[in-house]
Amino acid sequence: MKSIRRCQRIITLFILAFIAGMGVLVWKINKESPFYMMHSDNHQLGMVYDRTGGVLFDGIGKGKYEDNYFVDIGNLIGDDKGQMENTLVARNIDKLNNYSFSEGLIREGGQAAIYTTLDHYANRAVYNIFGYTEGCVCAYNYKTGELLVCVSLPSIDVTKGYDNIGELKEGTLISKNMYGTVPGSTQKVSTVISALEIMGRDKLFSKSYACNGKYINSSGKEIVCHNAYGHGVQGIQQGIENSCNPFFAQLIEDPDLPLSKITEKYRKLGYAVNDDEMKYIDIDGIQCERASTTLVDSGDFNTEWACIGQGETLVSPIQLMMWQSAIANGTGKMTMPHLIDHCTNTYGDLTSYSKTTYSEQLFSETTAATMKEMLITNGNNHYGGITSSPLAIKSGTAQVKEGAEENSLLVGFVDDDRHPIAFCVLMENKFGTALTAEQILKTLLDSLSS
Amino acid sequence: MSNPFSYIFSCLFVLLAHSTMLFNVYFNGSYTDEHQVFVIAAAVIGLDIVYFFLMLFFRQHTYNVDFMLILILNMSNIFQSCFGAVEFDHRHYITSLAALLASRVGYHVCRNHKWIQKQKVFIWIGIGLLAAVIFAFTGSRSMWITFEKFSIQPSEFMKILLILACATSITEQQNKHTVLGFSIVWENVILFFIAAGICLLQWWCRDLGSIPTFMAIYAAGFLLRICYPKAKFSRKTLFIAAGAVLLAGLVALHFAPDYVRARVFVNIWDDTEGDGFQQSRALIAIAEGGWFGKGPGKGALSGVFAHDSDIVFASVCEEWGLLFALMSVLMILILLSAPLFNPPRSYYHGTMAAGVCAAFTAQMALNIFGSCNLIPFTGVTIPFISTGGSSMAASGFMAGMLIAAQSPEFHKPGKKKTTKSKPGSSTKTAAGRSAKTASKSGTRSKTKKKPASSGRRAAV
Repeated sequence: MKSIRRCQRIITLFILAFIAGMGVLVWKINKESPFYMMHSDNHQLGMVYDRTGGVLFDGIGKGKYEDNYFVDIGNLIGDDKGQMENTLVARNIDKLNNYSFSEGLIREGGQAAIYTTLDHYANRAVYNIFGYTEGCVCAYNYKTGELLVCVSLPSIDVTKGYDNIGELKEGTLISKNMYGTVPGSTQKVSTVISALEIMGRDKLFSKSYACNGKYINSSGKEIVCHNAYGHGVQGIQQGIENSCNPFFAQLIEDPDLPLSKITEKYRKLGYAVNDDEMKYIDIDGIQCERASTTLVDSGDFNTEWACIGQGETLVSPIQLMMWQSAIANGTGKMTMPHLIDHCTNTYGDLTSYSKTTYSEQLFSETTAATMKEMLITNGNNHYGGITSSPLAIKSGTAQVKEGAEENSLLVGFVDDDRHPIAFCVLMENKFGTALTAEQILKTLLDSLSS
Repeated sequence: MSNPFSYIFSCLFVLLAHSTMLFNVYFNGSYTDEHQVFVIAAAVIGLDIVYFFLMLFFRQHTYNVDFMLILILNMSNIFQSCFGAVEFDHRHYITSLAALLASRVGYHVCRNHKWIQKQKVFIWIGIGLLAAVIFAFTGSRSMWITFEKFSIQPSEFMKILLILACATSITEQQNKHTVLGFSIVWENVILFFIAAGICLLQWWCRDLGSIPTFMAIYAAGFLLRICYPKAKFSRKTLFIAAGAVLLAGLVALHFAPDYVRARVFVNIWDDTEGDGFQQSRALIAIAEGGWFGKGPGKGALSGVFAHDSDIVFASVCEEWGLLFALMSVLMILILLSAPLFNPPRSYYHGTMAAGVCAAFTAQMALNIFGSCNLIPFTGVTIPFISTGGSSMAASGFMAGMLIAAQSPEFHKPGKKKTTKSKPGSSTKTAAGRSAKTASKSGTRSKTKKKPASSGRRAAV
């Protein structure tokens, strides 16, 4: 009898082991089936909406839209075809999966959706003002982190398909806001922040340097100013308003501003200096390149040129915009941008919602206040007609394609609690168009305030 | 049949299950020719009724395995006839008949422990001959012997022989010999070398999927061996054995050919068109099917190689849903657990039932977990559900072993009369002989008291 029981125990052991395995399998299938489904040719995606409920992506494909309805946000929202990888849909495809294992493929009318923070009206307005000019614009609410505008030209209406990839203009399938570009004189904001952190406000404001149109630096190289006649002797406020290159070259060479400390402050701001590892800013799965530069020696031409915003320095428009939030908030902490407000699953249940988050402190509150004051002064003195609210702003001109073309940049923020907008405008090849970056900025702010 | 109600209700249950499936095919299935549905229905219900009638002539203790067998086989016939499109799969139907026939053969061959133990040497010779056939005809890169229109997988039949080898040598555990101070049972040594030889042979002919099945059969035999007959489970021995198996597995993995290592370490989602093709398609099909399936004949997995054998679980899931696929597996488990409800009558029969259970669960685990990427994909069949003549016949034979385990034959009918003719010779009675036999073979004391009752009482 005991022997027979042992036989039965062995049989029970095998059966129980198998049942345990089946339990694991069912749990695994139930958990991972949405992932499996994403590899199916029969999967159905949900919708992406803007902040007002307007459609930005139609995964179900039953809606009817005007021609080029999605072109303004085409290279940001993307699709599931696999050609545009760094886009909202590609990076969040699991959230759009209109699938439930309990109902398999037979479910109709799934409500999986991503509700974004984007303002389609403002994006469209900005896209239209560009016309045939190329470039990119990003803007967000620096109080909440909601990304409102993220336009990049040239772009594409993904509903039309893009079989002719070889014929598309360079940069069509990416949002340029996410990739490094030569920042031009907008880089001087970072340099001034570093100087304020190292020297302190009083010492920096006590400094003055002469500009006669060009400056021969300590290694014998010539730093030219955009004003051939020079700006004369300037303090830091005039230096930044005039965006004077010789002024900043002399500031970099100043013994009170050792390069080692500048390097340290740049790293704090998020730059990958010299051979530092390249990192990314994550915006709901979309990877945004961090700034990078090369700093060798205070008297080195390329180092000075990098601190002025030319040469090897690269910063993404998104990061330029984020630094403005750290100034606008007055805390020295960046408001981290997000694109997704909330998501729903196939049953329409809320699955996730966004929260406002901040970076670590990049610089002191004193530095933020001083920088804010300088930029608002610059805005008041040079950009008065753009908006009725106080506007903090810094312009930049970036030499690209080995000096053959120049890009215009504007970074800044609106100092108004009702419209807390930080922005970055990049207009490529400014000599090839009658459009100005200021016109684009005005369109942006007008469309957002309306 | 001592209990006709039980028989009738069991018949009705099987008919109801198959009818429900057939209604599902008719109303939810994808077919262009309605005639095909009626052909399937006629074949399935017809086979049910014929088998129920034939069962009236079976003389067994219990019939639960028979009912489960016909239930599973005809479920399988409906599954196989629906993959991709509803069309009667006559080939699978024929192999199902072969499985039923094999189950009867298995029952008759294995029910009498005295007879089969006398054939032990022939079992060993059979293993040797089958090994020679595999060695000579399958080649080092194949597991099939191909004739003009059909193929045979000889390793399927090796499973039966290994189970029998384990079961028939179980009574020799007390014949210990002392060699160099060690207590040795020669049959254990022989059995170890037989199992090891079979595994090496399977490795050589690249039928790696079968190795865990053979190891499971041997493990069942080994576990029952080390606790025979009154010994306690030796934890030390168990740990040593488990350690040895683990070590052997690691060594095997280390020396495994590249294609095996590729299979073991492949990320199927990075290689959906290569090594991960079948598994990724299988998982996608399961996801598409959900709990309740797309409907019979509406599956897309039918375009994938081995959809009806190696990844048959996913094919069933896709068309019938995971819930129904789990129920099918449950039916096989109920069939395997028959020895728990109707205990085997001897240690030989118990060992045989444990061996069959080990083989079936190992095969199901390898097939289902492998195709679903829980373990490396090996490509073995699910008993009765997967297509394949060798597998069906061998599985049928093993089901017959389960029936034999519950309806054993201890005496030939003529012997009872002999004992009655000599009432005075009390020590020579059938009961006395049975007691001796039972004592030697490890049968239960109950069978000693009622030797004559161990043959013809029917219960479902």
